[in-house]
Amino acid sequence: MAAPCRKMASRSFSQLLYCFNRTAVGSVGCRRFSVTPVGRARPQAGPAVERATSPWTLMAAVCLQRLPVISADESPIEQRFKQMMQQMELEKSVLSDHELRLLEDADRMSRKQAGDYDSDEEEGHGDQEIMLGQDLEDTWEQRLKNFQPAPRVRADVDKDLTSVQRCLADSLVLLAEQQVGAEKLWLLPQAAWQEGETLRQTAERALGSVTAADLKATFLGNAPCGVYKYKLPKAARTESSVGTKVFFFKAVLADSAPAKAPNTALLWVKKSEVQKYLKPAYAMKVDRFILSL
Amino acid sequence: MNHMFRKRCFPRAVYVHMLLNDATQTELILSGCAPGNERRYKGTPTHGIGRWKYLLPKQAPKKKKDRNQTKQILSATDTAHGTLNVKVSGYDMTVVEHYSQYIHNLCNRLGIDVAESYALPTKSTEVMLVQDQGNKTYVDAVLKTHQRVVQLSSLNASLCPVFVDVLLKNQPEGVQLSVKEHTEADFQARFKARPELEGLLAQISQ
Repeated sequence: MAAPCRKMASRSFSQLLYCFNRTAVGSVGCRRFSVTPVGRARPQAGPAVERATSPWTLMAAVCLQRLPVISADESPIEQRFKQMMQQMELEKSVLSDHELRLLEDADRMSRKQAGDYDSDEEEGHGDQEIMLGQDLEDTWEQRLKNFQPAPRVRADVDKDLTSVQRCLADSLVLLAEQQVGAEKLWLLPQAAWQEGETLRQTAERALGSVTAADLKATFLGNAPCGVYKYKLPKAARTESSVGTKVFFFKAVLADSAPAKAPNTALLWVKKSEVQKYLKPAYAMKVDRFILSL
Repeated sequence: MNHMFRKRCFPRAVYVHMLLNDATQTELILSGCAPGNERRYKGTPTHGIGRWKYLLPKQAPKKKKDRNQTKQILSATDTAHGTLNVKVSGYDMTVVEHYSQYIHNLCNRLGIDVAESYALPTKSTEVMLVQDQGNKTYVDAVLKTHQRVVQLSSLNASLCPVFVDVLLKNQPEGVQLSVKEHTEADFQARFKARPELEGLLAQISQ
């Protein structure tokens, strides 16, 4: 009832059920993407079959999103349109039960004060005579005054990039600083693919290793939503390793769990801020599947 | 491209067919004249000229519409989910209905097959508060939960994360979204219970 704005806000997205638990759909379902490396190992293939090893290292990354908690502010045109629509609906509407009751009470009051009032002629409205419509309205007003909604925008929290509670009106993406080769880079949490697991399981492992274990995320599907191909510089290239391919999986934060100290540096950033932290080529691929609606 | 194709393969086959047809028709007419006992008006050259229904493929006779279980429940394959129920529920009916319409339109645009789109019965919840003075509870408010279901017959696995992401980003306030598989139990839950029928069945089984 009288709950602060934050808790009442909007959405509870209940669980997604998937019907197939079979393996390796993640690697099969990416028909959209340009290159499928030759001889990519499929866990379904029997152990007797010889697999041609591919020169690409496979990695899976997770694009964990925190969806907006409150609605975005309206632009001036939207506000004016909203007011006009409300006005139109008010004018076209019929009276509600409560308004009819108020009218009846007013009518009864005027009849009582008329002079030739005969209370036996009244129909039985026992409850309504004790508690008038006006009294109800007064109690409701009182309760509304006692209700303190949480502030929609908190400037100090918005500036703190590591907080999950920042920018409640936008959707945020999780970035982690990971060691890639010789340097530390900001990227979506990723992990290397191992034999016998699907790419989605790799992505889940990536999420678990980078963040605290109790961060509940719901993966949106078994198929990746994007891919990034990185060729090692010519000097570092060998026969067996030409580069890496990173497959991105989308996930949605289910619970904003209390922040435990993570082992790696984490950031929650909006789509507009993502460009500042990622390398240009990487950012170009990642930008394509982060929806800012 | 298409009409170029058609122009090519059209002429020869049709022309030959027309020639043959003419030949057979003239033969028939000649043979019809010979006995002389036939009625003349049926033998006119234009007899049966407007007939076309015999050329249509044979259709099975139209059965009475099967009310129950008109749609099969598809099961999942390697690349697609089976029949899914996207259920939208909330207290505000206009918002819930508009959101379900949005989902339906989005599916049409993305080429996802929508099997059915129906509403489940509204559930009313009475909120009762204890009075300040005394232990009696009084009815404070009546909240009605409206539910709308959009049933998708199959959803491509590669399209699924994109589709669900768009739905989540556009979810309005006060509306709960759930995506689940469609089961037989879900289907049966829509029908009203028939107590007399169940009573009779129980009697038979006893």
